[in-house]
Amino acid sequence: MSTDKSDLLQGTLDMLILKVVALGPVHGYGISLRIRQISKDVLQVQQGSLYPALHRLEKRGWLAAEWGESETGRQARFYRLSPRGRKQLTAEESSWRRLAEAIGLVLDTAV
Amino acid sequence: MFWKSLFSKRFSDKQLDAELRFHIDEVTEANIAAGMTPEEARRRALIEFGGPLQMREELRDVHRVAILDHTIANAKAAFRFMRKSPSFSLTVILTLALGIGANSAVFSAIDAILLRPLPYPDGDRLMRLTQSSYTKGGQWGFVAPVRLQDWNRMASTFAAITGYYTQNESETTGAVPEKLTRALVAPRFLQVMGVSPILGRDFTPDEERFGGPDAVLISERYWRIRFGADPNIVGKRLRLSGYSNTIVGVMAASFLFPDRDVDLWSSVPMDAPYAQSRESTWFTAIGRLRPGVTTAQAKADMSTVQSRLGRAFPKPDADLLVTVQPLKEITVGGVRRSLWVLYGSVSLLLLVACTNIAALLLSRAATRQHEVAIRFSLGASRASVVLQLLTEALALSLAGAALGLAVANGAAQAFRMLAKDLPRLEEIHLDGSLVLYTLASAVAVTLLCALFPALQATRHGLSGSLAHSGRTQVSGRNPLHFVLVGVQVALAVALLTGAGLLLRSFQALGQVAPGFDASHVLTLRISAGYGETADMKRLKQRIDGTIDGLRAVPGVADAAVSTGLPGVPDEYGPDLKLTEGGADPSRAIVAESRFVSPGYFSTLRIPLLAGEICRDSGGPLGVVVNRSFAAAYLAGLPVVGRHLQIPSNSFVPPAEIRGIVGDARENGLNAAPGPTVYWCFGGGDPDPHFLIRTYSEPMALAHALRRKVREISPSRSVFDLMPLEQHLSDAFAENRMRTILLSFFAITAVLLASIGLYGTLSYFVNLRRRETGLRLALGALRGQILRRFLLQGLGISALGCIAGVALAVAFTRVLAGMLYGVSRSDPATWSGVVLVTIAVALVASLVPAVRAARVEPMQVLREE
Repeated sequence: MSTDKSDLLQGTLDMLILKVVALGPVHGYGISLRIRQISKDVLQVQQGSLYPALHRLEKRGWLAAEWGESETGRQARFYRLSPRGRKQLTAEESSWRRLAEAIGLVLDTAV
Repeated sequence: MFWKSLFSKRFSDKQLDAELRFHIDEVTEANIAAGMTPEEARRRALIEFGGPLQMREELRDVHRVAILDHTIANAKAAFRFMRKSPSFSLTVILTLALGIGANSAVFSAIDAILLRPLPYPDGDRLMRLTQSSYTKGGQWGFVAPVRLQDWNRMASTFAAITGYYTQNESETTGAVPEKLTRALVAPRFLQVMGVSPILGRDFTPDEERFGGPDAVLISERYWRIRFGADPNIVGKRLRLSGYSNTIVGVMAASFLFPDRDVDLWSSVPMDAPYAQSRESTWFTAIGRLRPGVTTAQAKADMSTVQSRLGRAFPKPDADLLVTVQPLKEITVGGVRRSLWVLYGSVSLLLLVACTNIAALLLSRAATRQHEVAIRFSLGASRASVVLQLLTEALALSLAGAALGLAVANGAAQAFRMLAKDLPRLEEIHLDGSLVLYTLASAVAVTLLCALFPALQATRHGLSGSLAHSGRTQVSGRNPLHFVLVGVQVALAVALLTGAGLLLRSFQALGQVAPGFDASHVLTLRISAGYGETADMKRLKQRIDGTIDGLRAVPGVADAAVSTGLPGVPDEYGPDLKLTEGGADPSRAIVAESRFVSPGYFSTLRIPLLAGEICRDSGGPLGVVVNRSFAAAYLAGLPVVGRHLQIPSNSFVPPAEIRGIVGDARENGLNAAPGPTVYWCFGGGDPDPHFLIRTYSEPMALAHALRRKVREISPSRSVFDLMPLEQHLSDAFAENRMRTILLSFFAITAVLLASIGLYGTLSYFVNLRRRETGLRLALGALRGQILRRFLLQGLGISALGCIAGVALAVAFTRVLAGMLYGVSRSDPATWSGVVLVTIAVALVASLVPAVRAARVEPMQVLREE
């Protein structure tokens, strides 16, 4: 189970959270599930880093949070992307793509 | 806001817990769905989550505002720093305690005296009204009862107008008559002042009527001292100058109007037959403006009122002009300049202290470069290091300010000692605004003296770096330290010049020849009421009898009376007319009048220049004029034998000029003598000043004189018994206060500046120990080393001195009106200041320079 899991590159967790939240209001547990599902179990977010990240993003004003009822009928804290968060996501996405492309170019070089 | 995050901690803890619990519950459920037992599912969920408490702490950290934590940490660091370097901290704290304390002290006086409104409800609406003569300009100020009533009735801008005068009387219930100051007030007095008695009631209309019951209000002080604060005092009787009065009320302790000596108030019957003359000059008039009325509107209104009165009563009223001035201005206007000058000086002193501390911090920062570099390398931002350094400075200046507050608290006492006649002195005390001001000073001082050193210390960031490690870089190129020293010297020079000029004027005042001899003259007064003027013959008999009695006391050379004290401003200048005309008929006579008994001139040793001293023996009234008068109005004419009259005062008949006496500085030692007329009529004032020339020390006769007065008038009390020289000195109390204080500030500034110079030079000497040792090893002479450091110290002082002289030119400009007998550009003062500065700089530089020259090269080189 732990063999093919990758650690997240520092700084990418924030971007992933923003991306997942951009799909619609979601609680912390939901975010960790979605990241795992979408990455086909490759990326697994530790709760120990998820919640501090969520609160940090909320504090920066990129996420907004409110209490609501979960699918299982419990009270959960739902996160929503703020307009500033959306802007931030766009910026991070494009810089990530540039970086990935650049790394790809280097790796593709024939030896 | 950070306090919100502090106080809502409990609430957000609950929210955090709820959010985490939800997650754990969901995982547990998923585990159960995957086939685990509920216990196992929960256990796994918790394990996966890893300590929720630790997580909560982490989340809380995200939310906590960083500044608060940093502030606490910085404050802790600041106290560690203070403990670690006690001598440095103590120097800074004491310097600031002095600087901030002196500044707050002067501010407390400015605040109490100048800034705050008078201590009566809506005190800013209280106005003083005076009348003066159109044609002569002479200002009597005092208003006739009937006119006061007219003003009150006709003025639409005033809610009410009232008036008062005071007299010194005796309370005769006890074994020894006791002097009391009574204010005689017109109706509406308490209404205008806006106060009510703390016990009892105001006067009733019946008590304000002629022939009505005699009622008095007493002061809180008198109530306490004389009646032991008897709560049942109202209704009791008090025997005053032979008349019995009912006490109807007690005024609050804070109500000290018209002056702080007042013991009781009683009403003046405005309908009395003797109060109906429009010529009489009784009341000092005060009025309360209606809300929203400006002084200008009140002035316009009063001039309309007076011109209507002028048409109705042309005889005296058409010639009168009414002036309206805020009562506060009248009360405190005279000391405003002095206080602001003191405040300016003490602020310069604070600036010197600040600069001194900035230099200290700068040197300190250099030795802490290593520590700062470590902080940077551990990831601290420049802002956080600057903040930490500022917090250290703030802690020091707060400690200094706390001590300074204690200094300022004693200020009222100091002001009381230095100038007991300062208006509103009793209102100076420690209060919220003073604490606030002191705190604000501490913060301002911190920013002023610590911000730059902090920025300087963190300038290099990481690059300044650990590489230097223990070694301090030797760099002679640090002019900043010396700029700071120069600034201190410059400020100190400015203060010293100001103080020097004030001292020189004081010295000049002491050397003035006043034209009379104040030594061995004792003065006293004897209680009396104005009512005694109703029987002038008897009054004159009493005064003459008392003079004769006093003269008979062994040890007394001469005795006389005068309405005003010689050398103390009196400013009684009624219009005068020379019956036979003067040298220039078109010229109005402006002269001061003094009513004296004939013995005045021999008692004060004012020389007779021509004619004879007038007699006061019941014959026609005589006057004596001084030389200035004769020169101004009767130049080239025979003086003796002419007549003078006071046209506006029908009580005083034309009087013959019997002689000319020398000029005396009657109106104050600092005022050149002007034309003066002495009316030889000692019996016109029931309460004159008795002047007694003694053979030996004047106060030695005090007891004998008191006994004599008791013998002559058993029901009267003696007061204000003191040497004439004391009065002359008291007249300069305010002058002396500012001279003493400014000198104190200047000396402190010079001391601080010399400490600053000494400290900075010592610092550089230490910094260059190695270089000095090397030079010596290479053959430099000790004398060269000494000269080099000495010249450095003297050079910067000389530059500071030049800047200081420029500053002093500006500073002394504000002193212009306060100088006497010395010009602003007095060469002795300026050269003295420069000499003192250079001498002090020499001493302050010599010590570190000698230390530098004594460096042992071998020892220094071995330390390497």
